[in-house]
Amino acid sequence: MAGATRQIHIRFFAILREQAGCSTVTLETAVANPLALYAELQGKFPGLTFPVALLRVSCNERYADPAVPLAAGDRVVFIPPVAGG
Amino acid sequence: MFELTAQPIDSTALSARLAAPEAGALTTFEGRVRNHHLGLPVTKLEYEAFDDLARLEGEAIVSETERLYPGSKVLCVHRTGSLTIGEAAVWIGVASAHRQAGFAACRHVIEELKLRLPVWKKEHHPGGAAEWVNCTAEAAARPAGDDFHARQAALPEVGAAGQEKLASARVLVVGVGGLGCPAALYLAGSGIGRLTLVDGGRVERSNLHRQILFTTAEIGAPKALAAAARLRRHNASLQVTSQESDLTPQNARTLVAGQDVVLDCTDNFTSRFLLHDTCLALGVPLVQAAVHRFEGTLDVFRSGAGGCLHCQWPDRQPGELDTAGTCAGGPVFGPAVGVLGVMQAAEAIKLLLGLEGDAPRQTRLVNLLDGSQLSVERSARPDCPVCSRLDQLQAARPVAVTDTGLFVAAAGVKALGAAAQTIYLTEPGEPVQAGRESVPAQDLPKLRELAAAGPLVLTCRFGVRSAALARLLRAEGVAHVFALTQT
Repeated sequence: MAGATRQIHIRFFAILREQAGCSTVTLETAVANPLALYAELQGKFPGLTFPVALLRVSCNERYADPAVPLAAGDRVVFIPPVAGG
Repeated sequence: MFELTAQPIDSTALSARLAAPEAGALTTFEGRVRNHHLGLPVTKLEYEAFDDLARLEGEAIVSETERLYPGSKVLCVHRTGSLTIGEAAVWIGVASAHRQAGFAACRHVIEELKLRLPVWKKEHHPGGAAEWVNCTAEAAARPAGDDFHARQAALPEVGAAGQEKLASARVLVVGVGGLGCPAALYLAGSGIGRLTLVDGGRVERSNLHRQILFTTAEIGAPKALAAAARLRRHNASLQVTSQESDLTPQNARTLVAGQDVVLDCTDNFTSRFLLHDTCLALGVPLVQAAVHRFEGTLDVFRSGAGGCLHCQWPDRQPGELDTAGTCAGGPVFGPAVGVLGVMQAAEAIKLLLGLEGDAPRQTRLVNLLDGSQLSVERSARPDCPVCSRLDQLQAARPVAVTDTGLFVAAAGVKALGAAAQTIYLTEPGEPVQAGRESVPAQDLPKLRELAAAGPLVLTCRFGVRSAALARLLRAEGVAHVFALTQT
């Protein structure tokens, strides 16, 4: 996991935005995929406690598997379940 | 209580009947005979009621109003016979704790009477000429050159043909809350033919900042009923049905079958999955929205495009998503549900007009706090246990081909069998058209006889009388009587 770092652009939606305290963040990171990225973000934002198993992940405006490899400049959105009406 | 009377109306005596120590308001309305109609002088009026149906409809309107405005007591009396200028033809009194419910209830009764009560009046003009005037027709009339939808039909993407499509469309809105209220209001404005509203809840004061169909007068009223009444006042050409219960596995298929589009305006994943699966099995497009505080999501699901809800949440149970996600009763920014609800109406109308574009393959994320919007592309998971095996899903639960509800569309009449007869109900004074099987609306014995012979489909000029008579015959135990959907 000691590969070269690259920039990843992250957007939080709904409850994740509230837990992280911001809508967007850009990270210089070496993580392999969104799953590992979320773990790294949880280290940065202690309030981010939402379980990763209940998240949807979008990568470059398409839903993606949390284990999909990330590349430089990717845009990742973490989307929690939303049900209010 | 509703009464028909041939005697002059004594408003003092009627007011006294509504005396109640807990009622801080008595609101009354009196409809009187005036000396002119459509520019012509009038000397007197004769009122003729279709007794059986008038009493039934009158009582139905009164009891519906009392449920709509809990705690209010309604008395309504309608005259029959010959009336002179200035005489009272109808009297409505509402005793209620506060004025808001009184005014609203009084208004509701007179609007519904005008629309539904089978009472006809014959106008006498100076010189002895006389003609029948249809109260229903007056209330529901779409005058020639009606421009209610003109500015929408003027859009090249809509046009007269698109407006016709909307008029024949059936839309189901499940949940009449923050999303459902604005969605239903814009659908009603658009000229949708039939709208069904489903909600088992009642209006609460804490709903009012975002549930824009309701006012303080409706607090305590069943939401579906209150919303239906409000929408009918907005657009008289809309046929709106209310179902005062929540969506359940028992009623989901009956509600969804025969709809052209369904709107999910519920607030929990259990209902969302149930509605989604029912729509998927029956092949009905679904427009789903959900809101958390300032943010919302919008999804259009249509078989064969962009996967299904299970593709998004593989192996997840509705219960765990509800627990983890937003909770009902949480804080919510009113305009967020407003915007998302209106977007649902827009997507539904676009689906009906074939203007949906890429919407059925996207999730739209909307943030009202920072003003951002983002579209995320959905795709079907090849291994999805639900939509990749749709054939099995449909085969396991066969789709009902006949709608056993009260209403039937023209295209569905054939499915009722070769013996099915369509009968046009004429109002007094309405000419009988050649080549159309007609029966006077008041001729109940004849209608009973026809219903006994086989499936009977009733229609009339505005669809109000035919629906009321179909209901009356159903109440008498006739199973195969239907009301034709107006297009």
